[in-house]
Amino acid sequence: MPGLTFDHVSKEFPGGTVAVRDLSLAIADGEFMIFVGPSGCGKTTALRMVAGLEKITSGTITVGDRVINDVSPRDRDIAMVFQNYALYPHMTVQRNLAFGLKERKTAKAEIERRVAEVSAMLGIDDLLKRRPAQLSGGQRQRVAMGRALVREPKAFLLDEPLSNLDAKLRVQVRGDLKRLHQRLGITTIYVTHDQVEAMTLGERVAVLSNGVLQQLGAPQDVYDHPVNLFVAGFIGSPPMNLLRAEAKAGVATAGDLSLPMAGLPDGDVVLGLRPEHLRPATDGQPSTEFQVEVVEPLGDGVIVHGTVSGTLVTAPSGDDEVLPRLAGDRAEITTKFEPTLRPSPGERMRLAIAPHHVHVFDGRTGDVIVQATA
Amino acid sequence: MSQASEIRAGTALPALEEEAGRDPRGDRFVFSWWHLVLFPLAILMVVPMIWMVITSVETLNETRHFPPILVPSGIRWQNYTDVLQRAPFARWFLNTLVVTVVVVAGNLLFCSLAGYAFARIKFFGRDVVFILVLATLMIPFQVIMIPTFLIVRKLGLIDTLGALIVPNLAGAFGIFLLRQFFRSLPIELEEAARIDGASRLGVLFKIVLPLSGPVLATVAVITFLWTWNDFLWPLVTIYNPDNMTLQLGLTTFQGAHQTNTHLLMAANVMSVLPVLFLFFGAQRFFIRGIATSGLKG
Amino acid sequence: MNVRRIMRSDHVAGWAFAFPAVALIVAFGIVPIVWSALMSFQKTNLLSTPEWIGLNNYRALPKDPLFKTSIVHAMIYAALFVPLSVGGGLFAAVALNRRIRGIRFYRLAVFVPVVVSTIATSIMFLWLFDPNFGLANWLLGKFGLGPFGFFTSSDGALYSIIAMTVWGWIGFDAIIYLAALQGVPQELLEAASLDGARSWSIFRNITLPLLGPATLFLVVFSTINAIQVFDEVYFLTKGGPGTATYVPVLYLFTLAFQQGIAGYAAAIAYVLLVAILILTVIQLWVGKRMVYYAS
Repeated sequence: MPGLTFDHVSKEFPGGTVAVRDLSLAIADGEFMIFVGPSGCGKTTALRMVAGLEKITSGTITVGDRVINDVSPRDRDIAMVFQNYALYPHMTVQRNLAFGLKERKTAKAEIERRVAEVSAMLGIDDLLKRRPAQLSGGQRQRVAMGRALVREPKAFLLDEPLSNLDAKLRVQVRGDLKRLHQRLGITTIYVTHDQVEAMTLGERVAVLSNGVLQQLGAPQDVYDHPVNLFVAGFIGSPPMNLLRAEAKAGVATAGDLSLPMAGLPDGDVVLGLRPEHLRPATDGQPSTEFQVEVVEPLGDGVIVHGTVSGTLVTAPSGDDEVLPRLAGDRAEITTKFEPTLRPSPGERMRLAIAPHHVHVFDGRTGDVIVQATA
Repeated sequence: MSQASEIRAGTALPALEEEAGRDPRGDRFVFSWWHLVLFPLAILMVVPMIWMVITSVETLNETRHFPPILVPSGIRWQNYTDVLQRAPFARWFLNTLVVTVVVVAGNLLFCSLAGYAFARIKFFGRDVVFILVLATLMIPFQVIMIPTFLIVRKLGLIDTLGALIVPNLAGAFGIFLLRQFFRSLPIELEEAARIDGASRLGVLFKIVLPLSGPVLATVAVITFLWTWNDFLWPLVTIYNPDNMTLQLGLTTFQGAHQTNTHLLMAANVMSVLPVLFLFFGAQRFFIRGIATSGLKG
Repeated sequence: MNVRRIMRSDHVAGWAFAFPAVALIVAFGIVPIVWSALMSFQKTNLLSTPEWIGLNNYRALPKDPLFKTSIVHAMIYAALFVPLSVGGGLFAAVALNRRIRGIRFYRLAVFVPVVVSTIATSIMFLWLFDPNFGLANWLLGKFGLGPFGFFTSSDGALYSIIAMTVWGWIGFDAIIYLAALQGVPQELLEAASLDGARSWSIFRNITLPLLGPATLFLVVFSTINAIQVFDEVYFLTKGGPGTATYVPVLYLFTLAFQQGIAGYAAAIAYVLLVAILILTVIQLWVGKRMVYYAS
């Protein structure tokens, strides 16, 4: 079975930067695997090691049962789609598609058959005579896909292939990609920093940070049961609210919120509260006072930003988009309501959360202590 | 920005050669005072050449006349055939052509290979070797001429076209220019080609070089000018008239026909014409080449 | 297996690609530099076995009147050729940098001498400057000047050569300057004119400083060229009349290839190299303090 295995793979660049540290994971034959993480987390380096564009410092990468560490890129039988597509500007679409087959001395008739087949499948058959400069962004993206597909490779590597498309096209191509994979079943590694792509596309996602694999699992599973603060903060949009709390005698206290959590060991903890799990409190529920600041109606729901008393924790993501959001001694949090529930700015309300939805992380290590149940 | 425009941007050079438009106000009869400067300047630059052409179709008696005869009585093409009869001009032309073509081809090939290695391949000793290559760019030829002569003599090449070809087959200038250009190309293209199954050589010849047209043309043009117009090195290494290049041949012809000015000018016109034709044909590349580099024969 | 790994590594590929060019450059560039240095400490005529004589060649140089003469000529040549060709090139470029009718013809006229070889140029000027039948004497005569001997006169030969080489190089300098002029941002000039500056003031205060890097390059390049002048002198005067146009490279050539005093010639070559390096360093150093490089 041709799957793809990373076995204790590390990559250290000259100068000592460690891009990937001791990565071990197995990708099954035909699986769609996502590498996700903020920029600089090592996901692209991991991909480039599979392609043979970066040397592996230690460990092995295996395709099927063949170790490919020292195999040159041309002999790996792996195809890759680059972020900027890397279409050969001096060749027509036809020749772009045929290039890889020609280099492998495929028979001419066979080349023509495959190019015709793939270009028909991707709907680029009327573009074959054009050059890349004469194509739109979406068309280039499809040609880049076609160039990879036409080779019928053992594995398919995609490096942020949607990031140069506009928002609408991105949603469409995302769907196309998923359909294509379902139809062809080629082992695929897909690198992205976009957690929406990670959630929607993959059969499994590998979350990376600072070169280290944080969590590996089905997208929903990673979303529901993040193993540490990084994954909790990175997966989900709007992101999970992380509040510093103290656990004492089975009660976790963050600001004016006291949640009974049976069996919780005493000490510093972090409470993880998903925006969609925060609800207006009914009488008698443990709750916190929420001051509404900004209301963002989305049509199918409302995102409400506001503050509660307490201290916010910033997930150690290294991602610029997640900035510490502190408002004096109050913590800025986000909730997501049904569209019927629309508070106005300045309004004060009490918010509650069902205890089984609360994620609890160790205050020092960031590892999960109590997993929420969905 | 699209890939293609990125690549073009990498070679972006001043559009000196572009057709200068009319007065932007659209009035073509506006008189610019700059004509009063430019016209005399242009005359000053072309007069020596026009005077050469006129003299080349005069009779000997017309040239021996003061004040000079500006409009000859007739056009005497015979001067040109006379030159061809009196000196192995065709031979010199052929020699120069062979030397120039081989040297230009050699530079394109060897400088491309080396330039690509220095640009993209990490190999042992690369940076040291590259600095060494660059250092030779600073050394005037006159300083190394004597030992180079001895080396070429040791190789048994003295008084052969080989003496003019072999030492000039690769130069630091071409390597440097090509390396800089190769580095400006998007590396993903080369990575894609390698994953597509191309070898290093395949990447260079099928991807990189087809995208390097303008810079290759620049290297070709500069090398051409340099080789075609070279004088000192042929003077040192070539003695047999049959092996001479045009520049060297011209000097021997001048020595033998000092007073036959009309023939001398005809010979000179013939020596200049090929370069002028090439210049008019490939003006863009000449001017770009000179603007980027700055080397004249 | 291990051998195969090495054979396919980047080290082998890199060396294989670079080798032909590097070998040529080492054989005909690096080796001669070193050899030349060794030779300058030897007595050799290019045929016999060289004899080691230490610093004797260099000691003899200051006492050699012909060497001193040739150095003086090179200095006069550089002192006139560099400002005239660079200044002339700047003037031509400024004049050519506008969109008027006929500009294509003007540019072509200025650029063409660049591709004409030194020998061809020399043949043209030999005729133009012919003392008896030349166009130059006729034209100058109309202004009541001359007749001049030009290349045949001891007083005028060096200056005639300078006039000719300036003609030959103005186009080159103009191309470099024109490229630089087209890199001057239009907004700067517009901003200055809105500030009320006059054309001359804009040129002096904005354009000229922005041309600094081009000027520095041309001054360095032209100086090196001036020190190396040979082709035209050899062809036109062979250093004469007398020694009126003797220049260092001509002296070096005569010594090495006609008189067989190659060791001494190599010493002259090295003195030239050191002179060029020193001049270049001085010019770059001065340039660094005066030239403004835009980002």
